[in-house]
Amino acid sequence: MGVVMPLKAEARDLTTKEVAKADSTDIALFVRTSQEDMLGWDRQRIVDALLRETFLDRDTAEKISKEVEKIIQTGTVKTVTGPLIREMVNAKLLEMGLEEARRMHTRLGVPLYDVDQLLVQHNKENANVPHGPEATNLTLAEGIKKEYALLHVFTPDVADAHLLGDLHLHDLGFIDRPYCSGQSLEYIKKFGLNLPHALSMAKPAKHAEVLLAHMVKFAAALQSHFAGAIGWDAINLFFAPYLEELDDRGVKQLAQMLIYEFSQQAVARGGQAIFSDINVYWEVPKHFETVPAIGPGGVYTGKTYGEYEQQAQRFAWALFEVYKEGDAAGRPFFFPKPLVHITEKFFKTEGHMDFLNHICEVASVKGNTYFIFDRGETAKISECCRLSFKLEASDLEDAKEPWRMRYSALQNVTVNLPRLGYQAKGDDTKLFTLLTERMQTAAKAHEQKKKFIEKLLTMGADGPLSLLAMELDGQTYLRLHRCSYLIGMVGLNELVKIHTGQELHDSDAAMKFGLKVIAHMNIVCNKMAESMGMKFVLEQTPAESTAYRFAKLDLAHYPEQAAKMVQGSLARGEVYYTNSTLYHVGATMNPITRVDREGLFHPLIEAGAITHVWLGEAQPDKEALATFIVNVFRHTQNDQVAFSPEFTCCLDCGKTSRGLSESCPHCGSQKVDGITRITGYFTKISSWNKGKLGELKERYRNQRQFAQA
Amino acid sequence: MPAIKGFLETSFIDWPGCLCSVVFLGGCNFRCPFCHNHPLVLAPNGFGTIPLDHVLQRLTAMRDWLGGVCVTGGEPTQAPDLPDLLRTFKTAGIAVKLDTNGTRPEVLEHLLAEGLLAMIAMDVKAPLDQAKYDACAGTRVDLSAIRQSIGLIKSSGLPHQFRMTVLPKLHSEADIIVWRETLAGSPLKLQNFNPRSPLAADFAQEKGFAPDAFAALQALVA
Repeated sequence: MGVVMPLKAEARDLTTKEVAKADSTDIALFVRTSQEDMLGWDRQRIVDALLRETFLDRDTAEKISKEVEKIIQTGTVKTVTGPLIREMVNAKLLEMGLEEARRMHTRLGVPLYDVDQLLVQHNKENANVPHGPEATNLTLAEGIKKEYALLHVFTPDVADAHLLGDLHLHDLGFIDRPYCSGQSLEYIKKFGLNLPHALSMAKPAKHAEVLLAHMVKFAAALQSHFAGAIGWDAINLFFAPYLEELDDRGVKQLAQMLIYEFSQQAVARGGQAIFSDINVYWEVPKHFETVPAIGPGGVYTGKTYGEYEQQAQRFAWALFEVYKEGDAAGRPFFFPKPLVHITEKFFKTEGHMDFLNHICEVASVKGNTYFIFDRGETAKISECCRLSFKLEASDLEDAKEPWRMRYSALQNVTVNLPRLGYQAKGDDTKLFTLLTERMQTAAKAHEQKKKFIEKLLTMGADGPLSLLAMELDGQTYLRLHRCSYLIGMVGLNELVKIHTGQELHDSDAAMKFGLKVIAHMNIVCNKMAESMGMKFVLEQTPAESTAYRFAKLDLAHYPEQAAKMVQGSLARGEVYYTNSTLYHVGATMNPITRVDREGLFHPLIEAGAITHVWLGEAQPDKEALATFIVNVFRHTQNDQVAFSPEFTCCLDCGKTSRGLSESCPHCGSQKVDGITRITGYFTKISSWNKGKLGELKERYRNQRQFAQA
Repeated sequence: MPAIKGFLETSFIDWPGCLCSVVFLGGCNFRCPFCHNHPLVLAPNGFGTIPLDHVLQRLTAMRDWLGGVCVTGGEPTQAPDLPDLLRTFKTAGIAVKLDTNGTRPEVLEHLLAEGLLAMIAMDVKAPLDQAKYDACAGTRVDLSAIRQSIGLIKSSGLPHQFRMTVLPKLHSEADIIVWRETLAGSPLKLQNFNPRSPLAADFAQEKGFAPDAFAALQALVA
């Protein structure tokens, strides 16, 4: 491993006369001298570093160190630092054609200017990261780990594909963690809060509030071990055995605590809220019906989960009452995202229309509800912006002991589809060949990250991933052999436009070609899964910043072609590609057509897809929404739908109003911020990157249309 | 056939309880200063005409999803051949909701008698006081026609709704209470004035009720 210099070394005052003695714990080549002499200079340190970090022999190392020493002695350099010496050595290595040794000897870090900018400017790559000391810590750490990943975890061809923008390797700054996860509350119900190296251990909870406290702390611990979302399965059902002692007021109180706990957890990693999801069912899912229920104290209650339907429904109802109220200022809660599963059994369960109207009212008033459609025998756990883990036969077997149901996608790699269009120049064969090649590179990236995580995980209890390696139920918490590997896409709409001259919504022919591309991707995934023994699945990339990054990189690498194809405003630099397989956000298209047509892609995208209906100001009738949802289930193949209203929150009076306004309708102040969904979740618009701001301006919000004269 | 000047394929807000399409007809006998559809009122010929066949084809394609079609304006009862249009919808198996200002009770009576309507929404403007109503409608209004329409709608046995756009310049809490009593049990839906592009240019300076005040008015008719 390369030497990572402590960052603070670069920012130190270089004119001090004090001579730092290299600390043995950071093995730093840290030298500072005065004008008069070179106190502390020790050429041998260069030799040691080269021998330790690279494959060079002693003679070469000695030679290089002497040449560097000569430059330092004869040059006009008045002060040197470790990093400077290291770069001088690197320059020598470069001069001598020792490229591989130079790579191994690379120093990772951040220029002074960048750190200065970072501490002051807001990082907008992820709108879920606030601005503050913790956030800048996160960004700095991510920056170094990203460099590390690209140099040391991935091979140069994979790293180059990312840097050039052929692909996007997501969450490189979290290279030492898996990507997203689906969790079961049963694990802490059964084992208590018993984490490796924790300062104390808690037995299984006896009361609902304590279970909630365990859940929140466990979620925070998990956030430190996963890059992305922490999703919880069937949350209302798994709480149910603890609710019998509570009256309706107590249940509502618990619902309120749960939602506030997760929506205010912006104090953990990097000041970032835990990206949390709760899966909610009105019915008892078929696969849990006969499963023995775990209750207070972690013991079996003697009943099955099927017998807790009423308690589970009470909790589900209360959760949505809280969502409907919003926070203290009337804003929608950003987290946890409630995902309601609409299944065949849902429609056979008493009270389902009342519940549907209830959650549709929340969708109308605050927008929170996500509607997940599990048709036929399908069962899944959903989380993140749209990710879902489809339950297979072995998972349904695991459902008998639900604490086993822990899922993870190890990494997400997105293919830049429009670029394939620029490269194929209308040639079908070339296009599909290139697409296959890109996906093979993506698979290679997955293999390399898997290998790296595996290495950390096998270090067990003493390694960096001890939490994921804990074996309370006989297998490691992270079940690596069950992990999936996501391959996503950005800009199908633009690829189709480049290749056929039309956007997806323009014609059936364009749509047909779009489907052909995604079907091809699906087949390649399946083939690679079979040959490599890894579960590759397609996911619609949420592409919060990737849609912007690809558009910018294509404007740099394919300026003429890309200038005609990117969406948004070139003049304002607000450019983007359309997310994943979505239709152009500005296409004049009613929600029925959008849900129906976009839904045609969904069966090909196993690991999650969504259609957004942007509502703008209009507050829809809850029953109109409910009939719409029933029809989506009955008449389309769409996997998931969310309705996104827009809000203005006033920074002066603190009140919230509907629609995006330039001034507060309550007090008239112009100090306002907007709130709506950026990709799969709600955030404040002031935190958005420029690409997404461009998209926001173009979103079609079901406005009325008049014919041109 | 009346010329169709606008078409919204799906609306979640125009027909309480169901998803519907909306068809806009041009022309209106009112000149409400706060009207936000005024190009349709003042210069309907500035819009093209959407072929009825297209509308029918779209409505048929979305049949499973829609509760029906909302016919609005302008003022649809102004169109002499409105019944032809509604009959066409009825024949195609598409339920119709009519939006009207209630100035043509004889048309309403005819449509009801022929069974062409499934739901009616009537816009009322102010309490039934000549000066107030005229000011809100921007023209001289025959209040007896308005009263007659209200009676017809209330006794129609059909789902119905009265609606009123309100702003502080023209309306007070007392007005709302008067209406609540006049309508005696029929739903009254208030809409807050939006100053974006009103018919009367000087109304662009006006404001709707503040959100809290509006909520208080809504509570009166909830």
